[in-house]
Amino acid sequence: MTVKVEVIEGGIPHNKIMIAGIVSTLVCLYLTYLNVLTSTEMFSFFGGLAVIAALIWGSHTIKVLCSYGIGTGVPSAGMIAFGSGVIAMLLATKFGFYAPIVAAVLAAVIGFILGYVSNNILNMKIPAMVQSLTEMAVVGALTLMGFAALITGGFTFAGLTTGHVTVMGMTLLTHEQSFLGGCLIAVAFLLGAIAIQHPFNACLGPGWQQDRMLMLTAECGFLSMIAAAIMSFALISTGSAIISLLIAIIGWVYTYKEYMVLSKRDAAAWLDAKPIPEVEGH
Amino acid sequence: MSAVAAKPAAGGAINWTAMAVGVVMFLILMGICYYFYPTGLMPLLLIVVGGVMIGFGVHFVPVGGAPAAMGQAPGIATGVAMLAAGGGLAGLFGGAWAAAAGQDALVVVITGGIGGGLMMAITCMMVNFVYVFGMGIPAASGKVANDPITGDSQAEFKSQGTEGHGLPFVSFVGGVIGGLFAGAGGTLIYLELLEVYKAALPGVMQITAAQVLPIAISAAGMFAVGMFLVNAVLTAYNITGTIEGPHDPKFKRWPRSVVASAVASALCGLVAILIVAL
Repeated sequence: MTVKVEVIEGGIPHNKIMIAGIVSTLVCLYLTYLNVLTSTEMFSFFGGLAVIAALIWGSHTIKVLCSYGIGTGVPSAGMIAFGSGVIAMLLATKFGFYAPIVAAVLAAVIGFILGYVSNNILNMKIPAMVQSLTEMAVVGALTLMGFAALITGGFTFAGLTTGHVTVMGMTLLTHEQSFLGGCLIAVAFLLGAIAIQHPFNACLGPGWQQDRMLMLTAECGFLSMIAAAIMSFALISTGSAIISLLIAIIGWVYTYKEYMVLSKRDAAAWLDAKPIPEVEGH
Repeated sequence: MSAVAAKPAAGGAINWTAMAVGVVMFLILMGICYYFYPTGLMPLLLIVVGGVMIGFGVHFVPVGGAPAAMGQAPGIATGVAMLAAGGGLAGLFGGAWAAAAGQDALVVVITGGIGGGLMMAITCMMVNFVYVFGMGIPAASGKVANDPITGDSQAEFKSQGTEGHGLPFVSFVGGVIGGLFAGAGGTLIYLELLEVYKAALPGVMQITAAQVLPIAISAAGMFAVGMFLVNAVLTAYNITGTIEGPHDPKFKRWPRSVVASAVASALCGLVAILIVAL
């Protein structure tokens, strides 16, 4: 016996968002490969756009999953997405050019098994559980890979573990000043985890609107991208980092304004809200 | 059935078929590890032990959620995942600090446990401060008539229409025990992964052991955090919502969580170890 608290009324169907999300994320991730082809770091900002595409998909998946009263709070969904995603993502970086695809497939396998575990062994019996956890793991892995591409300019294991430091005009190879060695991945982890769980947590309720939530996701994504772009100054050339930062700031200002417009639109409307259904187990 | 009357799907029942499938999956994952990287089998086994300790330990933690924030249910007023992350990561930091000081593995794991327990003890104490002096409510359990440890009667202090409130003594003790388990488990995962990476990464990356140290520490720490969160959230799914502590009837659901944590930890640990094997 399961009960669905909210239904999706109108708006774009979830499958469409899922397909658009995975395609645009993978395309954006592969566009960062232009860095290698052109021997620059100018195209790193595509990593940030991949992050936003993945987050929009992920926050809608959270909406699908958390519409069932899972009783654990929305943030837990974001945490398991990135907890399982980071593991798949780091192994996938070993596969060089194929890393994004391997990350997606590997994360899907991990997510599927975790979904089976929670649905059958833990007896959750929620119809959307297996599919949602599979999607969430893929989103987590691809988001982290996007952050890695944004900050380091690439997504290979060697690129994530090595950096360069200039001492008195000499360029030295270092492992401490890198995405993994400097543990920038921990910051990227939480930037993504907060950005993915916040939108539905903030927008849920009887007045939920799909376009408003997705706009908030984009806003959170660009906000995270600003922080990640600032971190990228340490690892890629200043010009490339400035490009990422400018795109992030422009995107954030635009999405923030749009979100405010949507919020005012929904706030002015009167909604026939039903009493809040009691679904938390207590 | 209307949405208001319906309760969450997850009951206390154990699905034996799924449990058996879980055990088989666990054995298959161990077999894959043995096939690809035989020396990783013992670390993987200890990682699973760590994951199971997290899954089991989180059941002790008094999780109140939103009802507790309104003083209508006992426990700490936040979700399982947040509490477990707070207690476990504090333990992980403590354990990592002991590991960096070059301590014995046992000392490191115990330090991690104490870090987690301390974090939970401070949280529980401050929560009761806020409940008693801020909200003006006494601590009373709604699930038992007498506190199992002190024997104090609870019913007189319980307000009508609530499931109890505040943080009774048994919940406080449960929180500290949960923190001990979770912190020690998280540290064990970190320690085992660190040993694997320190031993194998220099050969894989063709660099010296000193150069590989920041990468090994960062990767092991990140994986430990990731596996910690996976185990904590799976346990949260097992509890579904709130739990008062070891005296709560929901505590009896722990066998499911142990199997689930074992499978999840074996899976995530295997992927983490394969980084040096592939």
